[in-house]
Amino acid sequence: MSKMTPYVYVLPCMLLLGIFVYIPLVANFYYSLFSFSALSPMKLFVGLQNFRTLFNDSVVGTALINNVWYCVISVAVQVFLALVIAALLEDRLLSRVSTVLRTTYFLPVLISMTVVALLFSFVYHPKIGLINAALKAFGMKNPPAWTGDPKTAIFSSIIMSQWHSTGYTTMLFIVTIQGISADLYEAAEIDGAGRLQRFFHITVPQVREMMFVTMVTTITGAFLVFNDVYILTQGGPGNASTTLAVYMYRNAFNLDKMGYASAIAVLMLIICMALALIQNKAFRSGKED
Amino acid sequence: MQQTSMVNKTVRKPGKSKNMLPDRKMTPGMAIACFFLLIYFLLIAYPIFWLIMNSLKTYKEIYKNIWAMPQVPQWMNYVNAWNRGVSRYFLNSVLVTGATIVLTIFSAALGSYSLARFRFRGNQLVFMLCMGGMMLSPQVTLIPLYQIIRFLRIKNTYLAMIIPYSAYRIPMMIMLIRSFFLTIPKEMEESACLDGCSDFQIFVRIFLPMSKPILLTCCILIAYYAWNEFLFAMIFVDSESLKTIPTGLMNLRDALQTDWGTLLAGMTISALPLIILFFCMQKHFIRGMTAGAVKG
Amino acid sequence: MKKFALILAVVMCLSVCISAFADQVTVRFFHRWPNEPKLSYLNGLIAEFEAENPDIKIVTDQVLNDAYKEKIRVLVSTDDIPDVFMSWSGSFANNLVKSGRVQTWDDLLAADPAFRDSIVESQWPPFQIDGKQYGVPWSMDGKAFFYNKDVFAQLNLSVPTTLDELYAVCDALRAAGYEEPISAGFSAPWAVSHYLGTICQRVVDPETLARDYAGQGDFTDPGYIEALNIFKKLGEYMTKDPNSVDHEFARNAFIFGEAPMVYLQLGECKYLRDDVDFDYSFFNFPAVEGGKGDPGQLTGAPEGMMISNVASPEVQEAAVKFVKFVISQHGGYEMTKQTGELSCVKGALDETNLDAKQLEAVQLILNSTQPALWQDNVTDAAIADAFMAGGQLLLTGDKTAEDVMKDVQAAAASIQ
Repeated sequence: MSKMTPYVYVLPCMLLLGIFVYIPLVANFYYSLFSFSALSPMKLFVGLQNFRTLFNDSVVGTALINNVWYCVISVAVQVFLALVIAALLEDRLLSRVSTVLRTTYFLPVLISMTVVALLFSFVYHPKIGLINAALKAFGMKNPPAWTGDPKTAIFSSIIMSQWHSTGYTTMLFIVTIQGISADLYEAAEIDGAGRLQRFFHITVPQVREMMFVTMVTTITGAFLVFNDVYILTQGGPGNASTTLAVYMYRNAFNLDKMGYASAIAVLMLIICMALALIQNKAFRSGKED
Repeated sequence: MQQTSMVNKTVRKPGKSKNMLPDRKMTPGMAIACFFLLIYFLLIAYPIFWLIMNSLKTYKEIYKNIWAMPQVPQWMNYVNAWNRGVSRYFLNSVLVTGATIVLTIFSAALGSYSLARFRFRGNQLVFMLCMGGMMLSPQVTLIPLYQIIRFLRIKNTYLAMIIPYSAYRIPMMIMLIRSFFLTIPKEMEESACLDGCSDFQIFVRIFLPMSKPILLTCCILIAYYAWNEFLFAMIFVDSESLKTIPTGLMNLRDALQTDWGTLLAGMTISALPLIILFFCMQKHFIRGMTAGAVKG
Repeated sequence: MKKFALILAVVMCLSVCISAFADQVTVRFFHRWPNEPKLSYLNGLIAEFEAENPDIKIVTDQVLNDAYKEKIRVLVSTDDIPDVFMSWSGSFANNLVKSGRVQTWDDLLAADPAFRDSIVESQWPPFQIDGKQYGVPWSMDGKAFFYNKDVFAQLNLSVPTTLDELYAVCDALRAAGYEEPISAGFSAPWAVSHYLGTICQRVVDPETLARDYAGQGDFTDPGYIEALNIFKKLGEYMTKDPNSVDHEFARNAFIFGEAPMVYLQLGECKYLRDDVDFDYSFFNFPAVEGGKGDPGQLTGAPEGMMISNVASPEVQEAAVKFVKFVISQHGGYEMTKQTGELSCVKGALDETNLDAKQLEAVQLILNSTQPALWQDNVTDAAIADAFMAGGQLLLTGDKTAEDVMKDVQAAAASIQ
C-alpha cells in the first residue's frame, strides 16, 4: 500500500466539498464587504457598510420576525403535535386504520414544494379557493385574503409548510416509538397507568433523542426557508411575507446587489451557528441528568 | 447523535407485540383524538383528490365550477402536459437524479473507505470537514457558489445541478457509509488479502457488495433530495431544455395565460414517481428517510 | 467502475452540446417565448429561415418573462452573450447596452433604408440610447381599460375621458349592482406597476419624471403622492383583496361578465376572443385633472430584437439576416396571426390576421401621441420594486402614499 492511497481515495469528495461548500462559505464573508453586481467584474470595497445597512433595513426585521414565526409554529406542530399524532397512531385502538392514516399523512412529503405551492395557490384563492368557500359555507362574511393580506400572507405559507412536512416527523416518531420495548408499556399497564401516563412516562422519555433531532432540523429549516415562500407569495404583498433567504435571493438576483445579499447570507449563517451551539449545549446538559 | 440501531429497524405492523393486552376501550379523550385524526386525514386527502379531479377539467370548468366533478374527463390535459414540456422535465429530472446518485455514492463510498480503513495524517480533519459540511445549507453559500459555477463555465448545464447537489449530499452520505464500513469485520478483508487483493479490489469486491443495504438507503435519500431540489435548479440553469420538474412546472404558469388544466395535470404527473417509489419500496424508503433525519 | 465511467461520460456528453457543422454559421437566439402558441410560431419561422438559408443554423434557447429579465442581463455581461436576443425598451434596453456588447443598428439602417421605413415610425425611439439605435422594434403593445359595452349601454354610461368621469362611471356601476366595477389582480407585482406607471405619467411633470426614472432625481415631487393616492382611490373600486388574485383571474372575471371593466394589455385581445359573449371595447387611461403629463400617451412599449457585437462578422451578418427575416411583413403577419402579438411592421396587419377588436387596438396605439414605457422597464429595478411593493401595501392600507414615497426615495438614493 502506498502512503498516498488513503489521500487518493478521499480526494474526490474533498475536492467537491472544498470547491462547492467550503470555498463559497469563506468567499461569502469576503463578498459581504463589497458592493458589486453580477453584471460587472468590478467590486467596490465598502467595509462594513452592508452590515450597517442590514441593521437599519426594516425589511430584514420583517424577515426575521417571519422566520421566528416559522420556527415557533413549525416546532409546535412538527415536533410536539407530530409526536402526539404518532403516539395515537401507535395506540392499539387504532391499529386497524393506522397504516392508512400513516401513509396518507406521509403523502405530501413525497410531493415537491413546487406542486404543493401551486396547489395551495388554489386553496387560498379568495374567490374560488377551498378554504374561503368552506368559511363562507359556515357563514363567515369576510374571510381573510390569505396570501394577499400582509397580516396573513406569512401564515398562509407556514400553514402550507406544516401540511407538507408534519407527516415526515410523524413517521420518524412512529419508527422511534416502535423501537420502544413493549415490556415497558406492559409493565406500566399492569401497574394501572392510563394512556396519558404511559405517554408522558414512557413514550416521551424514550423518544427524547428523536425529539431533539427533529427540533434541530425544524428550527434550522425555519431560519433558512426559501421554496415555500418564494413559490407561494414571492415574499409579497410588498415585503410582508419575505424571509431572510427570500430577501437574500431578491437582492442578489432581482435587484443585483450581490454584496448586500452576501451580508444577509452571513447573518443567516451566524443565526444557524448560534442555534446549533445552543441546542448542542442544551442536549448535552440534558443528557447528563 | 448515534442511533444506528434504530436506523436499522423498520416500521412494523403497529401494536403487534402489544396486542395481547386489553385497553381497547374507547374513552371520550380518545374519541376527540380520533375525530382530530380524521380531520387531519381529510385535510391531506381532499386537496390531493381535488388536484386530480381538476386536472381532468376544461379551463372554463375550473374557473366556473371549481368544486364540481369534471363533466367529461379531459384526459387530453395529461397528453398536453406531457407534450408541452413535462416529458422533457421528466427526462432531465431522471438524468440529473441518476447522475447525482452515481457521483455522490461513488465519491462518498471511496472517501468512507479511506476513513474507515486507513489511519492517515489528516483523517481527523477530513472527518471534521464532513461533520461541518452537514450543518451548512446551500442557501448560505448561494452567491459565491453562483460565481464559482459561472467561473467554471458549467452554468446552464446539467453539471451545474449535479455537482452542487453531490457536494451538499456527500457529508451525510460519508457519515452513513463510514459507520457501516466500520462494522465490516477485519477478517473479511484479511482473508481477501491473502488471495492477493489490492486495496481497491477489496473496496469493490468486499466493501461495496456487503454494504448494499446502506447504499440503497443513501440512493433513496439522494433521489428524494435531487428530485425535489428547487433553488439551485432555478438559479444555475436557464434553458427550458435543461429544466427539471420543480423549476419546469413554474414555466407552465405564464404571466398572462396559464392553461390550468394542463398545469394541474403536469403537477399530478410530476408527483407520481416518488409516490410510486414509496409504495414499491416502503420499507427501504422509511429507513432511508429516518437515517437522513438522524444524521442530518 | 467501468459502468460508472460510462454513465459519467454520457452525462458529460449530453451536457456539453457540441455543434459540429463545419461550414455552417450557427446563430444563437435567446427569447422569452417558451410557451405555446408562441414557441411553435418561432420554431416554424426558424425552420423557414433555415430552409432559405441552408448555410445558417439557428440555435434557440428560451425562458419565461421574469426569468428572462434576470438571465439576459447576466448573459449580456459575459462573452456568452447570445448572438440575437429579445429586449424590452427603455431602461431595460439601456442596462443591456451598458455592457458594451450590443451592436448598434445605425450603419445597418443607413445601408438599408427600406428596412427602416418598413417599421412603424413611433416604435423606433424607445430603442434609441444616446442618439444611437440599439434595437429593432418587433411587437407593439398598449395598456387600456377594457369595458363591457353592453353593460355601459344598458346603464347609459359613456366612456370616461377624465379621472373624475371614471370615478362617476364606477359609482354608477356599483349602484347598478357591480360591487367591484374594476377587475384587478396584483398577486404578481408587475400588474401594479402598469397602473402606477400610467398614473405617474399623467400626473408628474414629464421632465421631473424622466430625471427621477433615470436615477438622477430624488422623487420628491408632490405629484407622486397625488398619483399614489389616485391609485388608492381607484383601488376602492377594484376587486376585493386584489393582492391574492392573479392578473389572469381578474381578466376572466371580465370575460365571464362578472366585472364590467379591467385594465389590460391590448395584446390580450386574443384571450378574449373565444369566451366573451358580449360586445366590448377599450379606452386609454383618462386624463387627470391638473396633471402635468400628456394625456394622449398610451402606456405600453415595443419589444424588440438586439444583436451582439462580440460575435464574429459572419455570425453577425447571419444574425442581421435573421432579424430582418423575423421582422418582415411575412414574419410579422404570421406572428400576429398565430400568437396575437401585434407586429410593428407596416402592412403586416390587416383584417385577414386581425379581428375587429385587434384592428381597433392597433388604431388606439397608432393614434396615441407616443408610447409611455412600462414603469418596471423604464427605471432601475430597485426603484420599480419600491413602487410595486408599496403599491400593494397601499391598497391594503398598511402603508400611506407618503410611506411608499419614502421607500422609493431610499431606493433611489441606494443606487446613486
